[in-house]
Amino acid sequence: MSSFKGKVAIIGIGEVPTGKFPERPCLQNGIEAARMAILDAGINKDEIDVVMPTGVFSDGVLNVQLVAGKMVEELGLQRKAKANLQVFSGGSSSSTMLMTACSLVAGGHARMVLCVQCDKVGTIPTQQMIDMFTFSGDPEWEDPYGFFAVANGGLVATRYMHETRTTAEQLASVVVSMRKWAALNPNAMLRRELTIDEILASKMIATPLTTKEANVFADGGAAFIVANAAIAMQVCRTPVYPLGFGSRVTHYSLSQCTNLLDLGYAESGKEAFEMAGINATDVDIVEFYDAYPVYPLLSLEGLGFCKKGEAGAFVQAGNTWPGGELPMTTNGGMLGQGHTAAGGGIAILVEAVRQLMGKAGERQVKGARIAVETSHGGTFMDSHVCVLGTVLP
Amino acid sequence: MSAYVKPLPSPSSYSFPFWEGCKRHELLIQHCKNCGANIFYPKLYCSICLSPNMEWIRVSGRGRIYTFTIVYGYAPTAFTQDIPYVISVVKLDEGVQLMSNIVECEPSQLRCDMRVEVVFDDVTPEITLPRFRPIKNH
Repeated sequence: MSSFKGKVAIIGIGEVPTGKFPERPCLQNGIEAARMAILDAGINKDEIDVVMPTGVFSDGVLNVQLVAGKMVEELGLQRKAKANLQVFSGGSSSSTMLMTACSLVAGGHARMVLCVQCDKVGTIPTQQMIDMFTFSGDPEWEDPYGFFAVANGGLVATRYMHETRTTAEQLASVVVSMRKWAALNPNAMLRRELTIDEILASKMIATPLTTKEANVFADGGAAFIVANAAIAMQVCRTPVYPLGFGSRVTHYSLSQCTNLLDLGYAESGKEAFEMAGINATDVDIVEFYDAYPVYPLLSLEGLGFCKKGEAGAFVQAGNTWPGGELPMTTNGGMLGQGHTAAGGGIAILVEAVRQLMGKAGERQVKGARIAVETSHGGTFMDSHVCVLGTVLP
Repeated sequence: MSAYVKPLPSPSSYSFPFWEGCKRHELLIQHCKNCGANIFYPKLYCSICLSPNMEWIRVSGRGRIYTFTIVYGYAPTAFTQDIPYVISVVKLDEGVQLMSNIVECEPSQLRCDMRVEVVFDDVTPEITLPRFRPIKNH
Protein backbone atom coordinates (compact mmCIF):
# COMPACT_ATOMS: atom_id res chain seq x y z
CA MET A 1 0.00 0.00 0.00
CA SER A 2 1.33 3.44 -0.85
CA SER A 3 2.07 5.56 2.18
CA PHE A 4 1.35 9.23 2.77
CA LYS A 5 4.02 9.19 5.44
CA GLY A 6 6.03 12.38 5.09
CA LYS A 7 3.59 14.06 2.74
CA VAL A 8 0.92 15.23 5.22
CA ALA A 9 0.62 16.71 8.70
CA ILE A 10 -2.03 17.85 11.16
CA ILE A 11 -1.33 21.49 11.90
CA GLY A 12 -4.19 22.67 14.10
CA ILE A 13 -6.89 21.42 16.45
CA GLY A 14 -9.99 22.91 18.05
CA GLU A 15 -12.55 21.67 20.55
CA VAL A 16 -15.38 23.21 22.55
CA PRO A 17 -16.17 21.90 26.06
CA THR A 18 -18.20 18.68 26.07
CA GLY A 19 -21.36 18.64 28.16
CA LYS A 20 -25.02 19.61 28.29
CA PHE A 21 -25.44 23.12 26.89
CA PRO A 22 -29.11 23.63 25.96
CA GLU A 23 -28.50 27.31 25.07
CA ARG A 24 -25.57 26.63 22.72
CA PRO A 25 -26.83 25.98 19.17
CA CYS A 26 -25.47 22.84 17.52
CA LEU A 27 -23.87 24.66 14.60
CA GLN A 28 -22.11 27.03 17.00
CA ASN A 29 -20.15 24.05 18.36
CA GLY A 30 -18.80 23.43 14.87
CA ILE A 31 -18.02 27.05 13.99
CA GLU A 32 -16.23 27.61 17.32
CA ALA A 33 -14.18 24.42 16.91
CA ALA A 34 -13.26 25.29 13.30
CA ARG A 35 -12.18 28.81 14.28
CA MET A 36 -10.09 27.45 17.16
CA ALA A 37 -8.36 25.01 14.80
CA ILE A 38 -7.60 27.83 12.34
CA LEU A 39 -6.20 30.01 15.12
CA ASP A 40 -4.25 27.08 16.55
CA ALA A 41 -2.65 26.42 13.16
CA GLY A 42 -1.88 30.11 12.76
CA ILE A 43 -2.94 30.08 9.12
CA ASN A 44 -4.87 32.48 6.94
CA LYS A 45 -8.26 30.75 6.79
CA ASP A 46 -8.50 31.45 3.06
CA GLU A 47 -5.77 28.85 2.52
CA ILE A 48 -8.26 26.09 3.37
CA ASP A 49 -9.29 24.53 0.06
CA VAL A 50 -11.40 21.59 1.21
CA VAL A 51 -14.06 21.69 3.94
CA MET A 52 -15.04 18.30 5.34
CA PRO A 53 -17.95 18.29 7.80
CA THR A 54 -18.93 14.92 9.24
CA GLY A 55 -22.48 13.77 10.01
CA VAL A 56 -24.77 15.27 12.65
CA PHE A 57 -27.01 12.77 14.49
CA SER A 58 -29.24 15.13 16.46
CA ASP A 59 -30.38 17.47 13.68
CA GLY A 60 -31.19 16.14 10.22
CA VAL A 61 -31.82 19.60 8.79
CA LEU A 62 -28.45 20.90 9.97
CA ASN A 63 -26.84 17.76 8.58
CA VAL A 64 -28.21 18.57 5.12
CA GLN A 65 -27.13 22.22 5.49
CA LEU A 66 -23.57 21.10 6.21
CA VAL A 67 -23.65 18.70 3.27
CA ALA A 68 -24.77 21.64 1.14
CA GLY A 69 -21.94 23.96 2.17
CA LYS A 70 -23.17 25.86 5.24
CA MET A 71 -19.75 25.72 6.93
CA VAL A 72 -18.09 27.18 3.82
CA GLU A 73 -20.28 30.29 4.11
CA GLU A 74 -19.93 30.52 7.91
CA LEU A 75 -16.15 30.66 7.49
CA GLY A 76 -16.22 32.85 4.39
CA LEU A 77 -14.50 30.32 2.18
CA GLN A 78 -16.64 30.86 -0.92
CA ARG A 79 -14.53 30.60 -4.07
CA LYS A 80 -11.57 29.50 -1.92
CA ALA A 81 -12.84 26.00 -1.16
CA LYS A 82 -12.60 23.56 -4.07
CA ALA A 83 -14.88 21.06 -2.39
CA ASN A 84 -17.26 20.69 0.53
CA LEU A 85 -17.78 17.01 1.21
CA GLN A 86 -19.20 14.99 4.05
CA VAL A 87 -17.20 11.99 5.25
CA PHE A 88 -19.19 10.03 7.80
CA SER A 89 -18.86 6.57 9.30
CA GLY A 90 -20.37 7.12 12.76
CA GLY A 91 -17.84 6.72 15.55
CA SER A 92 -14.97 6.05 13.16
CA SER A 93 -15.51 9.30 11.25
CA SER A 94 -12.33 10.61 12.90
CA SER A 95 -10.32 8.01 11.01
CA THR A 96 -12.24 8.04 7.73
CA MET A 97 -12.02 11.86 7.63
CA LEU A 98 -8.30 11.77 8.38
CA MET A 99 -7.75 9.00 5.83
CA THR A 100 -9.68 10.92 3.16
CA ALA A 101 -8.04 14.25 3.98
CA CYS A 102 -4.55 12.70 3.88
CA SER A 103 -5.34 11.06 0.53
CA LEU A 104 -6.54 14.35 -0.95
CA VAL A 105 -3.45 16.21 0.27
CA ALA A 106 -0.93 13.49 -0.62
CA GLY A 107 -2.54 13.16 -4.05
CA GLY A 108 -2.14 16.87 -4.69
CA HIS A 109 -5.88 17.54 -4.81
CA ALA A 110 -5.85 19.75 -1.69
CA ARG A 111 -3.39 21.85 0.26
CA MET A 112 -5.33 22.25 3.49
CA VAL A 113 -8.39 20.30 4.59
CA LEU A 114 -10.59 21.43 7.47
CA CYS A 115 -12.29 18.45 9.16
CA VAL A 116 -15.09 19.57 11.47
CA GLN A 117 -17.78 18.01 13.64
CA CYS A 118 -20.61 19.22 15.86
CA ASP A 119 -23.53 17.58 17.59
CA LYS A 120 -26.01 18.12 20.37
CA VAL A 121 -26.97 14.66 21.60
CA GLY A 122 -26.58 15.65 25.26
CA THR A 123 -29.63 17.87 25.57
CA ILE A 124 -32.15 15.45 24.05
CA PRO A 125 -34.27 13.80 26.80
CA THR A 126 -32.64 10.50 27.84
CA GLN A 127 -35.42 8.16 26.67
CA GLN A 128 -35.66 9.89 23.27
CA MET A 129 -31.90 9.52 22.92
CA ILE A 130 -32.03 5.80 23.73
CA ASP A 131 -34.76 5.32 21.14
CA MET A 132 -32.81 7.37 18.58
CA PHE A 133 -29.70 5.25 18.98
CA THR A 134 -31.72 2.06 18.77
CA PHE A 135 -31.31 2.41 15.03
CA SER A 136 -27.77 1.15 15.41
CA GLY A 137 -29.42 -2.26 15.39
CA ASP A 138 -30.94 -3.69 12.22
CA PRO A 139 -34.71 -3.01 12.02
CA GLU A 140 -35.52 -6.47 10.64
CA TRP A 141 -33.03 -8.75 12.44
CA GLU A 142 -32.15 -7.02 15.73
CA ASP A 143 -34.59 -4.31 16.84
CA PRO A 144 -37.58 -6.69 17.26
CA TYR A 145 -35.61 -8.35 20.10
CA GLY A 146 -35.05 -5.11 22.04
CA PHE A 147 -31.48 -4.42 20.91
CA PHE A 148 -30.03 -0.99 21.76
CA ALA A 149 -26.66 0.72 22.07
CA VAL A 150 -25.61 -0.36 25.57
CA ALA A 151 -26.58 -3.98 24.78
CA ASN A 152 -23.77 -3.90 22.24
CA GLY A 153 -21.20 -3.21 24.96
CA GLY A 154 -22.83 -5.85 27.18
CA LEU A 155 -22.88 -8.61 24.55
CA VAL A 156 -19.20 -8.14 23.71
CA ALA A 157 -18.15 -7.88 27.37
CA THR A 158 -20.03 -11.08 28.31
CA ARG A 159 -18.17 -13.12 25.69
CA TYR A 160 -14.84 -11.45 26.49
CA MET A 161 -15.18 -12.19 30.21
CA HIS A 162 -16.27 -15.77 29.44
CA GLU A 163 -13.20 -16.47 27.30
CA THR A 164 -10.58 -14.56 29.31
CA ARG A 165 -11.91 -14.86 32.91
CA THR A 166 -11.57 -11.10 33.21
CA THR A 167 -13.35 -9.96 36.39
CA ALA A 168 -16.03 -7.31 36.90
CA GLU A 169 -13.49 -5.34 38.97
CA GLN A 170 -10.99 -5.38 36.11
CA LEU A 171 -13.65 -4.24 33.64
CA ALA A 172 -14.67 -1.42 36.00
CA SER A 173 -11.03 -0.35 36.33
CA VAL A 174 -11.19 0.92 32.73
CA VAL A 175 -13.74 3.47 33.93
CA VAL A 176 -11.50 4.34 36.88
CA SER A 177 -8.71 5.08 34.39
CA MET A 178 -10.96 7.16 32.13
CA ARG A 179 -12.30 9.22 35.03
CA LYS A 180 -8.80 9.91 36.35
CA TRP A 181 -7.88 11.45 33.00
CA ALA A 182 -11.22 13.28 32.70
CA ALA A 183 -10.57 14.87 36.09
CA LEU A 184 -7.57 16.62 34.49
CA ASN A 185 -9.46 17.66 31.33
CA PRO A 186 -11.29 21.02 31.45
CA ASN A 187 -13.30 20.02 28.33
CA ALA A 188 -14.63 16.83 29.97
CA MET A 189 -18.17 16.45 31.28
CA LEU A 190 -17.63 13.71 33.92
CA ARG A 191 -14.73 15.01 35.98
CA ARG A 192 -15.35 13.22 39.27
CA GLU A 193 -13.07 10.27 39.93
CA LEU A 194 -14.79 6.97 40.69
CA THR A 195 -13.75 3.89 42.66
CA ILE A 196 -14.32 0.33 41.48
CA ASP A 197 -16.85 -0.11 44.31
CA GLU A 198 -18.83 2.95 43.22
CA ILE A 199 -18.90 1.76 39.63
CA LEU A 200 -20.04 -1.76 40.51
CA ALA A 201 -22.64 -0.43 42.97
CA SER A 202 -24.31 1.77 40.34
CA LYS A 203 -27.49 0.52 38.66
CA MET A 204 -27.12 -2.46 36.33
CA ILE A 205 -28.15 -1.65 32.74
CA ALA A 206 -27.18 -4.54 30.49
CA THR A 207 -25.02 -7.23 32.12
CA PRO A 208 -22.21 -6.92 32.88
CA LEU A 209 -22.42 -3.13 32.41
CA THR A 210 -23.60 -0.72 35.08
CA THR A 211 -24.64 2.90 34.56
CA LYS A 212 -21.09 4.10 35.18
CA GLU A 213 -19.78 1.69 32.55
CA ALA A 214 -21.91 3.20 29.80
CA ASN A 215 -20.89 6.38 28.01
CA VAL A 216 -22.99 9.50 28.49
CA PHE A 217 -24.22 11.49 25.49
CA ALA A 218 -23.13 15.10 25.30
CA ASP A 219 -23.06 18.23 23.15
CA GLY A 220 -19.77 19.17 21.60
CA GLY A 221 -17.70 19.99 18.58
CA ALA A 222 -14.15 19.42 17.39
CA ALA A 223 -12.02 20.17 14.35
CA PHE A 224 -8.60 19.49 12.90
CA ILE A 225 -6.69 20.74 9.88
CA VAL A 226 -4.66 18.48 7.61
CA ALA A 227 -2.06 20.09 5.35
CA ASN A 228 0.67 19.30 2.90
CA ALA A 229 3.82 18.52 4.96
CA ALA A 230 5.94 21.16 3.21
CA ILE A 231 3.38 23.85 4.09
CA ALA A 232 3.06 22.43 7.59
CA MET A 233 6.75 22.88 8.30
CA GLN A 234 6.50 26.54 7.29
CA VAL A 235 3.39 27.48 9.27
CA CYS A 236 3.41 25.16 12.27
CA ARG A 237 5.97 24.78 15.07
CA THR A 238 4.59 21.41 16.16
CA PRO A 239 3.16 19.53 13.17
CA VAL A 240 1.91 16.01 13.89
CA TYR A 241 2.48 13.43 11.20
CA PRO A 242 0.16 10.51 10.44
CA LEU A 243 2.76 7.78 10.02
CA GLY A 244 0.64 4.69 9.47
CA PHE A 245 -2.93 3.62 8.88
CA GLY A 246 -4.67 0.26 8.99
CA SER A 247 -8.35 -0.61 9.01
CA ARG A 248 -10.89 -3.38 8.50
CA VAL A 249 -14.68 -3.56 8.39
CA THR A 250 -15.65 -6.75 10.24
CA HIS A 251 -19.47 -6.65 10.19
CA TYR A 252 -22.63 -4.58 9.97
CA SER A 253 -24.90 -6.39 12.43
CA LEU A 254 -23.21 -7.23 15.70
CA SER A 255 -24.96 -10.62 15.50
CA GLN A 256 -22.98 -11.44 12.34
CA CYS A 257 -19.55 -10.95 13.93
CA THR A 258 -18.14 -14.45 14.29
CA ASN A 259 -15.36 -13.50 16.70
CA LEU A 260 -16.28 -10.69 19.06
CA LEU A 261 -12.80 -10.73 20.59
CA ASP A 262 -11.20 -9.90 17.24
CA LEU A 263 -12.16 -6.44 16.00
CA GLY A 264 -9.90 -6.78 12.97
CA TYR A 265 -6.77 -5.60 14.76
CA ALA A 266 -4.68 -8.50 13.50
CA GLU A 267 -4.86 -6.90 10.06
CA SER A 268 -5.39 -3.21 10.83
CA GLY A 269 -2.76 -3.07 13.57
CA LYS A 270 -0.18 -4.88 11.47
CA GLU A 271 -0.78 -2.56 8.51
CA ALA A 272 -0.58 0.60 10.61
CA PHE A 273 2.53 -0.44 12.53
CA GLU A 274 4.31 -1.66 9.40
CA MET A 275 3.55 1.53 7.47
CA ALA A 276 4.84 3.58 10.42
CA GLY A 277 7.85 1.30 10.88
CA ILE A 278 7.23 0.87 14.60
CA ASN A 279 6.22 -1.80 17.08
CA ALA A 280 4.25 -1.62 20.32
CA THR A 281 7.33 -0.92 22.46
CA ASP A 282 7.97 2.33 20.53
CA VAL A 283 4.61 3.79 21.55
CA ASP A 284 4.46 6.53 24.21
CA ILE A 285 0.67 6.94 24.50
CA VAL A 286 -2.43 5.13 23.25
CA GLU A 287 -5.61 7.03 22.50
CA PHE A 288 -8.11 4.17 22.29
CA TYR A 289 -11.78 4.53 21.36
CA ASP A 290 -13.89 3.39 24.29
CA ALA A 291 -17.66 3.96 24.51
CA TYR A 292 -17.78 0.81 26.70
CA PRO A 293 -14.99 -0.53 28.93
CA VAL A 294 -14.45 -3.80 27.07
CA TYR A 295 -13.19 -2.08 23.94
CA PRO A 296 -9.98 -0.53 25.31
CA LEU A 297 -9.17 -3.99 26.75
CA LEU A 298 -9.65 -5.58 23.32
CA SER A 299 -7.47 -2.82 21.83
CA LEU A 300 -4.64 -3.34 24.35
CA GLU A 301 -4.64 -7.05 23.50
CA GLY A 302 -5.34 -6.83 19.79
CA LEU A 303 -2.54 -4.35 19.17
CA GLY A 304 0.03 -6.28 21.17
CA PHE A 305 0.32 -4.14 24.31
CA CYS A 306 -0.98 -7.00 26.47
CA LYS A 307 -1.40 -10.75 26.02
CA LYS A 308 -4.93 -12.08 25.56
CA GLY A 309 -6.82 -11.93 28.84
CA GLU A 310 -4.22 -9.80 30.63
CA ALA A 311 -5.43 -6.29 29.76
CA GLY A 312 -7.87 -6.09 32.69
CA ALA A 313 -5.13 -6.75 35.25
CA PHE A 314 -2.85 -4.30 33.37
CA VAL A 315 -5.42 -1.50 33.69
CA GLN A 316 -6.35 -2.36 37.28
CA ALA A 317 -2.67 -2.10 38.25
CA GLY A 318 -2.69 1.55 37.16
CA ASN A 319 -0.54 1.26 34.05
CA THR A 320 -2.91 3.37 31.94
CA TRP A 321 -3.59 6.09 34.51
CA PRO A 322 -1.89 9.49 34.78
CA GLY A 323 1.73 8.70 35.63
CA GLY A 324 1.37 5.11 34.38
CA GLU A 325 3.63 3.25 32.01
CA LEU A 326 1.21 3.46 29.06
CA PRO A 327 -1.11 6.49 29.31
CA MET A 328 -4.41 5.54 27.65
CA THR A 329 -7.22 7.74 26.27
CA THR A 330 -5.93 10.80 28.05
CA ASN A 331 -8.99 12.98 27.44
CA GLY A 332 -11.06 10.52 29.48
CA GLY A 333 -12.78 9.05 26.42
CA MET A 334 -16.52 8.80 26.08
CA LEU A 335 -16.68 7.32 29.58
CA GLY A 336 -15.15 10.53 30.97
CA GLN A 337 -15.25 13.39 28.49
CA GLY A 338 -18.67 12.39 27.13
CA HIS A 339 -19.98 10.93 23.87
CA THR A 340 -20.77 13.53 21.21
CA ALA A 341 -21.89 10.99 18.55
CA ALA A 342 -19.38 11.05 15.66
CA GLY A 343 -17.41 13.48 17.83
CA GLY A 344 -16.50 10.88 20.47
CA GLY A 345 -13.84 9.49 18.17
CA ILE A 346 -12.81 12.90 16.87
CA ALA A 347 -12.20 14.12 20.43
CA ILE A 348 -9.86 11.15 20.90
CA LEU A 349 -7.96 11.92 17.68
CA VAL A 350 -7.74 15.60 18.63
CA GLU A 351 -6.38 14.56 22.04
CA ALA A 352 -3.69 12.41 20.41
CA VAL A 353 -2.59 15.43 18.36
CA ARG A 354 -2.84 17.73 21.40
CA GLN A 355 -0.55 15.45 23.42
CA LEU A 356 2.00 15.20 20.60
CA MET A 357 1.92 18.99 20.14
CA GLY A 358 2.61 19.37 23.87
CA LYS A 359 -0.59 21.32 24.46
CA ALA A 360 -2.39 19.02 26.92
CA GLY A 361 -1.89 21.19 30.00
CA GLU A 362 -2.20 19.46 33.35
CA ARG A 363 -2.49 16.02 31.75
CA GLN A 364 0.41 16.43 29.32
CA VAL A 365 2.42 13.22 29.02
CA LYS A 366 6.02 14.45 29.03
CA GLY A 367 8.03 13.51 25.98
CA ALA A 368 5.13 11.94 24.08
CA ARG A 369 6.42 11.44 20.53
CA ILE A 370 4.48 8.48 19.16
CA ALA A 371 0.77 7.86 19.72
CA VAL A 372 -1.53 5.09 18.53
CA GLU A 373 -5.14 6.15 18.02
CA THR A 374 -8.15 3.93 17.24
CA SER A 375 -11.79 4.35 16.29
CA HIS A 376 -14.87 2.25 15.61
CA GLY A 377 -18.19 3.07 13.95
CA GLY A 378 -21.66 1.53 13.97
CA THR A 379 -21.88 -1.49 16.26
CA PHE A 380 -18.07 -1.67 16.15
CA MET A 381 -18.37 -2.54 12.47
CA ASP A 382 -14.81 -1.48 11.78
CA SER A 383 -11.46 -0.98 13.44
CA HIS A 384 -9.18 1.86 12.44
CA VAL A 385 -5.65 2.19 13.76
CA CYS A 386 -3.53 5.28 13.19
CA VAL A 387 0.05 5.88 14.27
CA LEU A 388 0.88 9.55 14.77
CA GLY A 389 4.28 11.05 15.49
CA THR A 390 6.10 14.32 16.05
CA VAL A 391 8.95 13.53 13.70
CA LEU A 392 9.32 11.82 10.37
CA PRO A 393 11.36 8.66 10.84
CA MET B 1 -56.29 -7.81 23.70
CA SER B 2 -53.89 -4.89 23.59
CA ALA B 3 -52.04 -4.11 20.36
CA TYR B 4 -48.43 -5.22 19.95
CA VAL B 5 -46.37 -2.01 20.16
CA LYS B 6 -42.80 -3.28 19.82
CA PRO B 7 -40.82 -2.96 16.58
CA LEU B 8 -41.85 -5.56 14.01
CA PRO B 9 -39.82 -6.73 11.04
CA SER B 10 -40.97 -5.61 7.60
CA PRO B 11 -40.24 -8.66 5.43
CA SER B 12 -38.52 -7.79 2.16
CA SER B 13 -38.98 -9.31 -1.29
CA TYR B 14 -36.28 -11.84 -0.49
CA SER B 15 -36.68 -12.33 3.28
CA PHE B 16 -40.42 -13.12 3.34
CA PRO B 17 -39.92 -16.91 3.03
CA PHE B 18 -38.08 -16.81 6.37
CA TRP B 19 -41.00 -15.04 8.05
CA GLU B 20 -43.54 -17.31 6.33
CA GLY B 21 -41.55 -20.25 7.75
CA CYS B 22 -41.68 -18.76 11.25
CA LYS B 23 -45.46 -18.48 10.92
CA ARG B 24 -45.53 -22.25 10.25
CA HIS B 25 -43.10 -22.68 13.21
CA GLU B 26 -40.29 -23.76 10.92
CA LEU B 27 -36.84 -22.12 11.06
CA LEU B 28 -35.46 -21.60 7.55
CA ILE B 29 -32.11 -20.38 6.30
CA GLN B 30 -30.72 -19.99 2.80
CA HIS B 31 -28.35 -22.53 1.26
CA CYS B 32 -26.30 -21.65 -1.81
CA LYS B 33 -26.48 -24.37 -4.44
CA ASN B 34 -23.46 -22.88 -6.18
CA CYS B 35 -20.89 -22.69 -3.35
CA GLY B 36 -22.60 -24.69 -0.61
CA ALA B 37 -22.65 -21.90 1.99
CA ASN B 38 -25.39 -21.58 4.59
CA ILE B 39 -26.56 -17.97 4.70
CA PHE B 40 -28.35 -15.93 7.39
CA TYR B 41 -29.78 -13.32 7.53
CA PRO B 42 -31.48 -13.66 4.11
CA LYS B 43 -29.63 -12.11 1.17
CA LEU B 44 -30.72 -11.28 -2.37
CA TYR B 45 -27.63 -13.08 -3.69
CA CYS B 46 -25.30 -15.48 -1.92
CA SER B 47 -23.01 -13.22 0.12
CA ILE B 48 -20.10 -15.63 -0.35
CA CYS B 49 -20.18 -16.06 -4.15
CA LEU B 50 -22.96 -13.67 -5.32
CA SER B 51 -24.84 -16.52 -7.01
CA PRO B 52 -28.63 -16.16 -7.35
CA ASN B 53 -28.90 -19.95 -7.09
CA MET B 54 -30.08 -20.25 -3.51
CA GLU B 55 -32.65 -22.47 -1.83
CA TRP B 56 -34.39 -22.37 1.52
CA ILE B 57 -33.62 -25.21 3.91
CA ARG B 58 -35.27 -26.05 7.21
CA VAL B 59 -32.78 -26.21 10.08
CA SER B 60 -32.83 -27.98 13.44
CA GLY B 61 -33.46 -24.83 15.45
CA ARG B 62 -30.77 -25.95 17.86
CA GLY B 63 -27.57 -24.17 18.70
CA ARG B 64 -25.67 -22.51 21.50
CA ILE B 65 -25.55 -19.13 23.14
CA TYR B 66 -22.54 -17.30 21.69
CA THR B 67 -23.12 -14.34 23.99
CA PHE B 68 -25.92 -12.62 25.89
CA THR B 69 -26.83 -9.60 28.00
CA ILE B 70 -29.56 -9.29 30.60
CA VAL B 71 -31.25 -5.92 30.24
CA TYR B 72 -32.19 -4.06 33.45
CA GLY B 73 -32.32 -0.45 32.25
CA TYR B 74 -32.00 2.10 29.43
CA ALA B 75 -34.08 -0.16 27.17
CA PRO B 76 -35.97 1.20 24.15
CA THR B 77 -39.39 2.55 25.21
CA ALA B 78 -41.38 -0.39 23.84
CA PHE B 79 -39.32 -2.86 25.90
CA THR B 80 -39.20 -1.13 29.28
CA GLN B 81 -42.14 -3.22 30.57
CA ASP B 82 -40.23 -6.45 29.75
CA ILE B 83 -37.25 -5.67 31.99
CA PRO B 84 -35.40 -7.84 32.78
CA TYR B 85 -35.14 -9.48 29.36
CA VAL B 86 -32.31 -11.29 27.64
CA ILE B 87 -30.75 -10.38 24.29
CA SER B 88 -28.52 -13.05 22.83
CA VAL B 89 -26.48 -13.92 19.77
CA VAL B 90 -27.23 -17.59 19.05
CA LYS B 91 -25.01 -19.74 16.85
CA LEU B 92 -27.07 -22.44 15.16
CA ASP B 93 -25.64 -25.94 14.65
CA GLU B 94 -25.75 -25.18 10.90
CA GLY B 95 -23.11 -22.48 11.44
CA VAL B 96 -25.06 -19.24 11.07
CA GLN B 97 -25.63 -16.67 13.82
CA LEU B 98 -28.70 -14.63 14.69
CA MET B 99 -29.82 -12.18 17.32
CA SER B 100 -32.80 -13.20 19.43
CA ASN B 101 -34.07 -13.44 23.00
CA ILE B 102 -33.55 -16.24 25.51
CA VAL B 103 -36.82 -17.16 27.24
CA GLU B 104 -38.04 -19.76 29.74
CA CYS B 105 -34.84 -19.42 31.74
CA GLU B 106 -33.89 -17.82 35.03
CA PRO B 107 -31.39 -15.11 33.93
CA SER B 108 -28.89 -16.15 36.61
CA GLN B 109 -28.68 -19.60 34.99
CA LEU B 110 -27.49 -18.26 31.64
CA ARG B 111 -24.00 -19.12 30.41
CA CYS B 112 -22.12 -18.64 27.16
CA ASP B 113 -22.11 -21.84 25.06
CA MET B 114 -25.31 -23.14 26.75
CA ARG B 115 -27.35 -25.34 24.37
CA VAL B 116 -30.63 -23.77 23.24
CA GLU B 117 -33.53 -24.55 20.89
CA VAL B 118 -35.94 -22.35 18.98
CA VAL B 119 -39.40 -21.55 20.31
CA PHE B 120 -41.83 -19.61 18.16
CA ASP B 121 -43.72 -16.59 19.49
CA ASP B 122 -46.78 -15.58 17.42
CA VAL B 123 -46.66 -11.90 18.36
CA THR B 124 -49.21 -10.75 15.73
CA PRO B 125 -51.33 -12.61 13.16
CA GLU B 126 -48.71 -11.68 10.53
CA ILE B 127 -45.44 -11.99 12.44
CA THR B 128 -43.94 -14.83 14.45
CA LEU B 129 -40.58 -14.18 16.13
CA PRO B 130 -38.10 -17.00 16.73
CA ARG B 131 -36.79 -16.97 20.29
CA PHE B 132 -34.66 -19.56 22.10
CA ARG B 133 -34.84 -21.54 25.36
CA PRO B 134 -32.34 -23.83 27.05
CA ILE B 135 -32.57 -27.49 25.96
CA LYS B 136 -33.74 -29.48 28.95
CA ASN B 137 -31.87 -32.58 30.20
CA HIS B 138 -28.65 -31.53 28.54
